[in-house]
Amino acid sequence: EMEKTYRWRLAETWPKDFPVFGYTVKSMAQRVKVMSNDRLVITIDSKNKHKAPLGIFDMVRAGQYQMGHSASYYWKGKDLNTMFFTTRPFGMTATEQYAWFYYGGGMELMQKTYQPYGLLSFPGGNTGNQMGGWFRKEINSVEDLKGLKMRIPGFAGEVISKLGASPVNIPAGELYTALERNTIDALEWVGPSLDLRMGFQKVAPFYYTGWHEPATELQFLINEKAFNTLPKDLQEILVIAMRASAYDMYAQSMHENAINLEKIHKEHPEIQIKTFPSNVMLKLQQANDELIEQFKKSDPLTKEIIESQEHYQGIARPWTRISDQTYLEISQ
Amino acid sequence: MTGLALFLIAMIAIFFGFPIAFTFAGVSVAVGIMVLGVDLFAFMPYRIMSTMQNTILMAVPLFIFMGIVLQKTDLAEDLLESMGKLFGGLKGGLAISTIIVGLFLAASTGVVGASVVAMGVISLPVMLKHKYDPKLATGIICAAGTLGQIVPPSIILIILGDVMGLPVGDLFTAALLPSFILVVAYLIYIIVIVNVRPNIAPPIKTEVDEPRLTMVLSSLKLIIPPLFLIVAVLGSIYTGLATPTESSALGGIGSLLLAIIYGKFKFKLLFDSALETVKVSSMVFAVLIGATAFSMVFSYSGGETIVEEFFISLPNAQWTFVLIAMLTIFILGFFIDFIEIAFIIVPILTPIALSLGLNMNWLAILIAMNLQTSFLTPPFGFSLFYLKGVAPPQIKTLDIYKGVLPFIAIQMLILGLLVCFPELFGLSRLN
Amino acid sequence: MKKLHTLLGKQLDYLGYLCAILMILMLFNVFYDVVMRYLFNNVSIAMQELEWHLFSAMFMFGIGYTLKEDGHVRVDVFYDTLSRKTQAIINTVGILITVFPFSLLIIYFGLTFANDAYLLGEKSPDPGGLRYFWIIKSVIPLSFFFVITAGIYRLMGEISVLIGSPLEAK
Ligand code: NA
Ligand code: NA
Repeated sequence: EMEKTYRWRLAETWPKDFPVFGYTVKSMAQRVKVMSNDRLVITIDSKNKHKAPLGIFDMVRAGQYQMGHSASYYWKGKDLNTMFFTTRPFGMTATEQYAWFYYGGGMELMQKTYQPYGLLSFPGGNTGNQMGGWFRKEINSVEDLKGLKMRIPGFAGEVISKLGASPVNIPAGELYTALERNTIDALEWVGPSLDLRMGFQKVAPFYYTGWHEPATELQFLINEKAFNTLPKDLQEILVIAMRASAYDMYAQSMHENAINLEKIHKEHPEIQIKTFPSNVMLKLQQANDELIEQFKKSDPLTKEIIESQEHYQGIARPWTRISDQTYLEISQ
Repeated sequence: MTGLALFLIAMIAIFFGFPIAFTFAGVSVAVGIMVLGVDLFAFMPYRIMSTMQNTILMAVPLFIFMGIVLQKTDLAEDLLESMGKLFGGLKGGLAISTIIVGLFLAASTGVVGASVVAMGVISLPVMLKHKYDPKLATGIICAAGTLGQIVPPSIILIILGDVMGLPVGDLFTAALLPSFILVVAYLIYIIVIVNVRPNIAPPIKTEVDEPRLTMVLSSLKLIIPPLFLIVAVLGSIYTGLATPTESSALGGIGSLLLAIIYGKFKFKLLFDSALETVKVSSMVFAVLIGATAFSMVFSYSGGETIVEEFFISLPNAQWTFVLIAMLTIFILGFFIDFIEIAFIIVPILTPIALSLGLNMNWLAILIAMNLQTSFLTPPFGFSLFYLKGVAPPQIKTLDIYKGVLPFIAIQMLILGLLVCFPELFGLSRLN
Repeated sequence: MKKLHTLLGKQLDYLGYLCAILMILMLFNVFYDVVMRYLFNNVSIAMQELEWHLFSAMFMFGIGYTLKEDGHVRVDVFYDTLSRKTQAIINTVGILITVFPFSLLIIYFGLTFANDAYLLGEKSPDPGGLRYFWIIKSVIPLSFFFVITAGIYRLMGEISVLIGSPLEAK
């Protein structure tokens, strides 16, 4: 029994060899293999093989894969509550959110959300604060957002549409051309780490700082039945490997963002990095709060999750301000 | 091993003449169940769904619709014949016109299924009516219709940009000169071949006593409206009115407007064109669904791994690396879909090429040009299937197979030049 | 026999007409979205999503209709040199060993696929997007049900050639 080999398959949302995200999955599988002395071997199928980047939830649930790597907010259309375990506009920073997951009741609420589907969900790596996106024109007032055509999917799109902007669906392959030709006025992608390879810096001069995805946490999904067939030690090895790789991705995102930001400064000095004016931010926050209040009414678990997050952000933020924010202000 | 068996069986099976889409599907079911079990097919709904949600493919029915309306209203025929006449006594005028129209379509879509079928509908009947050799006619259409792969916007360049981590805009720019040279090479070939063998492409007869000026004017009258339509489609992309996919809908609506202007519009025309579009598009998408079942069995049975291992074992010297990589991609292109090749092989080639200091834009264009050829290579070249699907029954698969051979040769020649003299194409070999 | 064949053919023709209507709707849907966005800065996510719903339903349902019309492309290098009877054998065997098994598999797994979407009440994750995703997911099993129907129609035609009393005048 102790020597039995478990062969697992993992489906990821990303294409083969996708930077940062893909590396996180590979390093997790490698750690599991070494730590388990080859007793748990996980092979990875990328989007190019399974062709279902947004089918991870269903495929892991059905047991076609024991495991998946994706992002929880992709399942918003199946269950609204899944949306809150990735990030949300004006939500916690990555450090605050990790604290919430592991010490503030976040993990328990996440399992409670996924339990009805026979799934287990774990943090899968953080991108850090994402940028607000690439804009062809400057945003100086709420007026400038009216009629602004922007590729910005999901909940953030709903927030910005309350200020009169028009979220547009454009397939990834046509984004560059659409932005270049003014078919859309703006788009959000990730951050310096992954944006430069898309070439947006060539066609949009304004790069706005983030507000809508302060701490995007990816997700490891596991089929609960499959997990229960593992002996206790392999379960623990898997959990530890996921946690190590997730945190490692946060570090790697920091690194990739840093070197690519430097690249923007050096190779594309014409790019202006901007922040929305404070009245725009205020209006966005109001729109966000209204929508969140509506969500609270939809379902008791939704209310429980949001209130847990609000409560935790309320106690964690003062410390972030006193520690990191103060430090950043006093040190040059 | 399974992968190889899969190809051999499929290759034999399609020659029985049963519809290709279902042959691919059936072979995949048989091999898939034997090797991996029936549960493998639980993945199929996801794969079909991802085709259904791929909005870039909406260009397929929309362009086909435009082509069918232009053909049913005789506007396409007028356009091509008049263009042919403008070239006067020049032999092969119709062929040259087809290449030019193909180039316009290529610049407005990157989806080969869309342009080949639209070209097949628009210009094949006209060329056949004017006694063109079926081999030449079909070869030209396949080649011109497949130009969309390399002429920006191009799906393969978008995919390569993604896989190789290169900005798509740079690739589009880098592809301009090579695609232009390829088109010029096609034109030169046509001019040469029709002079060597005049009977394969007779010139369009003009009325003997018609003054040149009258003829030019009356031709222009017929050329400008449909050409304006095609230019407007392109213009809508360049002015940002529409995405490339959406521009194909503007083309469809525009063709209906032209029909109204020329007094040829009837509701029957609209309905019949739509019904024919359904038939042709479903033919194209059935092939795609059969092919996705095929590639599913191929990759889940480990075919992917074998290809990967081969590429990892490639020699680490610049010249041999490029030559062997190009040769292998070319050979694989006979059998495997270009998207599969891009996703399986390119991620392996990229780090090696980087370590050898090769210019990645150059490598990407090489791969794109090479994969474009894969659309033309018998027996599995998708362009050939698509054209066969819309060609009149007297056109045989074998005509098409033979017809594309010279164009494959031209592409290989250009590819060779691109490898040896990248400077001619505005590219450099090293970083 | 002949009656059933004609009846099936009629039904499949209606299927084709439905697809043609979906095609026209899709054309105008895309056009409408472009115009509204360009002229009025008005973007409806629901209308944008409707584009691919119409598009995919059109070609998926169309596969069965196209099979009925014998519009799926063949490699005819040898096929054309064969007698009509040999062709009928190839078509009969082909339908039995490729069309039916493949379609049955897609229907079987496609029903689970659509049913999951129904049970979860799955909808578009984007603001103002379409609800009831089970409808578009049901298109997958349903369209292959039509493919089987068209397969039966063609099978009757091919067998009638084999037994020497063709149902269709060719
Ligand atoms: Na983002
Ligand atoms: Na193109």
